[in-house]
Amino acid sequence: MSQTTAVRPSAARRGPGRGLTVGLVIIGIVILLRAFAPAPPADSLADTARDFVTLSISVVIESLPFVFLGIVLSIGVQIWLPEGFLLRRLPKNPVARRVVLSLLGMLLPVCECGNVPLARGLIAKGLTVGESMTFLFAAPILNPVTIITTQQAFGWDSGILAWRIAGGFLIANLIGYIYSRHPKPQSLLTPRFQEACALGDGHDAAAGKARRSATLFTQETSAMLPALFIGAGLAGLIQTAVSRDVLVTLGSHPVWSVVALMVLAFVVSICSNVDAFFILSFGATFLPGAIVAFLVFGPMIDIKMLALLRTTFTAKTLVQLTLIVALCSAVLGLAINYAV
Amino acid sequence: MRFRRLLRRWQGAVLSVVGIVATVWLGFSGQLGLYIHPRYFVFTWVMAGIAGVLVVAAFALVPAAEHEHEARDDEGRWAWLWSAGSILIIASAVVGLLVLPPATLTTATVAKRDLNGSTSSITQSEANDLVGGDYSTFTVRDWSSLLRQGAGEDFFADKTATVTGFVTPDPSDPENVFFVARFIVACCAVDAQPVGVPVYHPGWQDEFPVDSWVSIVSGFGTNPSISSEEAIVLVGSEITPTDQPAQPYVY
Repeated sequence: MSQTTAVRPSAARRGPGRGLTVGLVIIGIVILLRAFAPAPPADSLADTARDFVTLSISVVIESLPFVFLGIVLSIGVQIWLPEGFLLRRLPKNPVARRVVLSLLGMLLPVCECGNVPLARGLIAKGLTVGESMTFLFAAPILNPVTIITTQQAFGWDSGILAWRIAGGFLIANLIGYIYSRHPKPQSLLTPRFQEACALGDGHDAAAGKARRSATLFTQETSAMLPALFIGAGLAGLIQTAVSRDVLVTLGSHPVWSVVALMVLAFVVSICSNVDAFFILSFGATFLPGAIVAFLVFGPMIDIKMLALLRTTFTAKTLVQLTLIVALCSAVLGLAINYAV
Repeated sequence: MRFRRLLRRWQGAVLSVVGIVATVWLGFSGQLGLYIHPRYFVFTWVMAGIAGVLVVAAFALVPAAEHEHEARDDEGRWAWLWSAGSILIIASAVVGLLVLPPATLTTATVAKRDLNGSTSSITQSEANDLVGGDYSTFTVRDWSSLLRQGAGEDFFADKTATVTGFVTPDPSDPENVFFVARFIVACCAVDAQPVGVPVYHPGWQDEFPVDSWVSIVSGFGTNPSISSEEAIVLVGSEITPTDQPAQPYVY
């Protein structure tokens, strides 16, 4: 189910000159716009509006390179690796297969934003929907960068790192198992993504790998970047509208502390590679179970991630996924708070 | 119809160009640090370079043919809504990333994020390590941490702080006390946590606008304010307006 595209022969024969010229003109206009944009007075925006813009841009600038990296890896998997190179090496047993997929992040340490285009590429190459979910939700936690930063922030003795790894692994495999039982797994995908996958069956292999890579790049950026910009805008908007004081006051309650930090994780949409450093500063206020819930829930579900996932999964599927992940993370956090 | 297909095909490439140009420009102008932690600079530049090559390759190689599914999408009654949304996203990206000047977070965010509140900027052991250090090099973060960790008045009695930060009012006594504050950033501006050192300076609003940057050389003392919740503050301060530093956040 390659996602590469069908190309009309007449169009495929078109030389690169015209498109390249148009492209370079667009790039030139954008550069000139940046260079010569009239600088409005610093106080032209109210503080809240200014902070909304700053926060939204911050999400974009921080996430964009990871999305590009994910797209590059997706292009590599779909076009440049030999057919079945990755999938052929996976175990045949479904449980073992999902276990291996949940550890794939150890080899491809991309944060959650980059995992979405990579998972799309893996689905297009034949990974089942349930297996792709296992990879998507495990990889941001079970990857070397996240593990090292969590260890640096909390050490081994607190148990937070072990709970995070175990929680991420179990929840990702549970979700993979649940959706592997779905009678019509393709119905979990958006019609647009289903069609993109189906189109690949008859793609024009003669187009050449370079052209197919470039085409896939335009397709994936057209799917992912609007979602990223919408997610960034929503994250910025909610952060300027919601005070963190309300959440912080709940920190010492065994139940509400878990809920509060899960809400915080959902709102801040911070990269899993460094979320441990961020939440470390709340360590003195919140109970350990709340910290673990934050570190498990955040990499799987947040505003930005939902916007990106919406490019691939239906809204109904995302609601279900959010509820399952939230429920599991909350149970884990509460168990730690009451048992430890 | 043709415009819609072009938009659907090329919106990602156009948004990529906007993002890449903005990133490279922020890097060259030394303002990337307004949005992300410096540890990401190299990775961000490398990926911007790779994406730039791919965008140019896309413009050169991708044919102008439409896919069947694109053509079908364009026949829907609400197809114009999709086009309007795409144009809005591109326009917002252009305005936000290319037109508006880069900016730091302001006092509006300080108010949302519990200045020096529950979020200790450093741990107790790190604070202990600070004691006996070279106080002349201490930042707003260091002093605010010591204040929060409960170092007593005796400890501060013979200390002089030399700090730079932006001005934000003390909510408990905005007439007489302000904080010289900075944001601590772990990853990007989204996770910024405000820290600050209180300064007793009645009528400060007449001299220093909120969010303006100041450098302060001052000793510590008991807070003369009746209503302020801060016990120890900078008093008798030598306060000088200054420009925003190249790296306004602390890490």
